[in-house]
Amino acid sequence: MATITRDAKLISRHPPASRAVPFREKISAFVRTTRATSLALLGGILAWEIAGHVLQFSFLPPFSAALNAMWRMTLSGEIPRNIFASLTALFIGYALAVCVGVPLGLVMGRYRKVDYALDSYLTILLASPSILFVPILFSIFGTSRLTQITLVFLYAFIIITVNARSGIKTVDSSHVEMARSFGASERQIFSRILLPGALPMIMAGLRLGMGRGVRAMINGEMLIVLIGMGALLRQYGSRFDAASVYGLLLVVIGIALLCTSTIQWIEQRVTRWTM
Amino acid sequence: MIELRGLEKTFPSQNGDAPTIALAGVDLKIETDEFLCILGPSGCGKTTILKLIAGLIAPDAGTITIDGVAVNAPGPDRAVVFQNFALLPWANVVTNIAFGLELRGMAKTAREAIALDLIRAVGLQGFEHHYPRQLSGGMQQRVGLARALAVNPKILLMDEPFAAVDAQTRRMLQEDLLQLAHTTRKTIIFVTHDMDEAVRLGDRVVLMSPRPGQIREAIAVAIPRPRPVDLDQNPRAIELKTYLWQQLRAMQN
Repeated sequence: MATITRDAKLISRHPPASRAVPFREKISAFVRTTRATSLALLGGILAWEIAGHVLQFSFLPPFSAALNAMWRMTLSGEIPRNIFASLTALFIGYALAVCVGVPLGLVMGRYRKVDYALDSYLTILLASPSILFVPILFSIFGTSRLTQITLVFLYAFIIITVNARSGIKTVDSSHVEMARSFGASERQIFSRILLPGALPMIMAGLRLGMGRGVRAMINGEMLIVLIGMGALLRQYGSRFDAASVYGLLLVVIGIALLCTSTIQWIEQRVTRWTM
Repeated sequence: MIELRGLEKTFPSQNGDAPTIALAGVDLKIETDEFLCILGPSGCGKTTILKLIAGLIAPDAGTITIDGVAVNAPGPDRAVVFQNFALLPWANVVTNIAFGLELRGMAKTAREAIALDLIRAVGLQGFEHHYPRQLSGGMQQRVGLARALAVNPKILLMDEPFAAVDAQTRRMLQEDLLQLAHTTRKTIIFVTHDMDEAVRLGDRVVLMSPRPGQIREAIAVAIPRPRPVDLDQNPRAIELKTYLWQQLRAMQN
C-alpha cells in the first residue's frame, strides 16, 4: 500500500518511546537540565552564608552553623529518633489515605448517586483548613501518635479522593462506548477502560497527597504531639536556638522532597503513555 | 438480512430545551453482504441508526432484527468502526487490535497471532509496538478497522470512519476498504456526509433528511464492481452525485 510507505517515512523520524538512551547521554542531559537549578541553589546558600556572617542577626545564623547544628543533633540521636517517629506516623496515615481515598474516589466517579451524596462533605473538607481538626483530634486521642496519624490521613485522603473521582469522570466516553460495542461487561469496562484511563489523575493525587501528608505531619507535631521532627522544631524554637531550627528545617525539606519525588518517579513509570 | 421497522428515537433535553427527535419512523431492509451507505446532513440521525443496529442504544419504538433475531444488545456478529478511532492511548497497536478478542476471553498468544495477521492485511507492518499517538490519522483508523475485523463480524458498522483524515489519505482508505469488501464477504453499513464517498463505495445509498430524521429515498448506485479508478468521469456517478447534491442542498434551506 503506497500510503503506508509514505506514512512510514514520516513516522520513522519519531523513534518509539521505548528506545534505549545510552547511560552517558542520560547523564549529560541531566547535567544540562539541572545546571541552572544547581547554580541558583549554590548562589542562595552562598548569599545565606555571607549574610549570616555580615549581618549578625540572632534569627539568621550562617548556613554552616545550621549544618553544624544538624550534624550535632544527628550524632546525639535526636534527629534519627524523631525522624523515625515522624515517618512512622506519615507512612501509616498516608497508607490509610490511599486505601480509603482511591476506592472512594473511584466509586464516586463511577456512581452518580454516591457522588451526589458525598460531594458536599468532600467540598467542606477540601475548603476547610485541616488544622481546624487538631483540637478535636486532641480531645479524642490526646498527645498520642493516633492524633498524628489521623491528621496525616485527613490532609492526604481528600485530594487523593478528589483526583481519583475526576480521573474516572474525565475518561473519554467514546472508549467506554467502544468497549461496550465489543460486548464488554461492566467489570471489564471498569478494569480495562476506566481504571487505566484514570491512572494519570490518580497518580497525580497520590503525589499531591504526599505533599499534604508531610505538611500535616509537621503541623500536628508542632501543635500537640510530643515526639517527631515538628516537636523537635518547637522545642528548639522556644529556646531561640536559631541554628538548630534551620538545621531541622533543612532535614524536613529534604524529607518532603524525597517523599514527593519518590511518588513522582513511580508516577512517571506507570503513566509513560501520556508523555 | 437486517430489518428496521418503525424505528423511533428521541433524546431527552440536556438543558431544558425541547427534546431532540433523532428518528421518526425509519423502515429499512439491508441485504446480506450489501454495502449500504447512509448519507445525510448533520443531525439527520444517521449515527443514531448505526448505534441502534450496534445495540449500543435502544429504540423508543420499532424493532431491529438480524436474520429474524431481535437486536437488543451488542453481539459478536457486529463490530463498529468509530469516527474518532477510539483507540486506547495506553495500549500499543497489537493490543488495540486484539482488544475485542481480549474482552471475549481469548488467550494472549491466539489473539496476538490474529492481530499480527491483520496488521499485515491493513499494511501496518513495523508499527506493531507503536502507540496511537505515534501514528498518523490514517494509520490510526487502519488500527480501528483491524480491531473491528479481528472479531470476525458478519456486519461492519462504520460511523463516518474517514471524516477525520485528509482527502488524500481518505481516498487510499476508501480503495483499501473496497478491496477488503471484495475479498471478505461482509455486510457493511457506512455512515457518511460525503456524496462522493457514498457513490464511490456503496451498492445502495440511503438519503436521510433531518429534523426529524427520516429516510428520504434509497437509490441503487448501479455502477459495476470493481469500481473504475476514474469514477469522477463516470456518467452514472456524475448523475448520481449531482442528484444527491441537489437533494442535500434543498434540505439545508
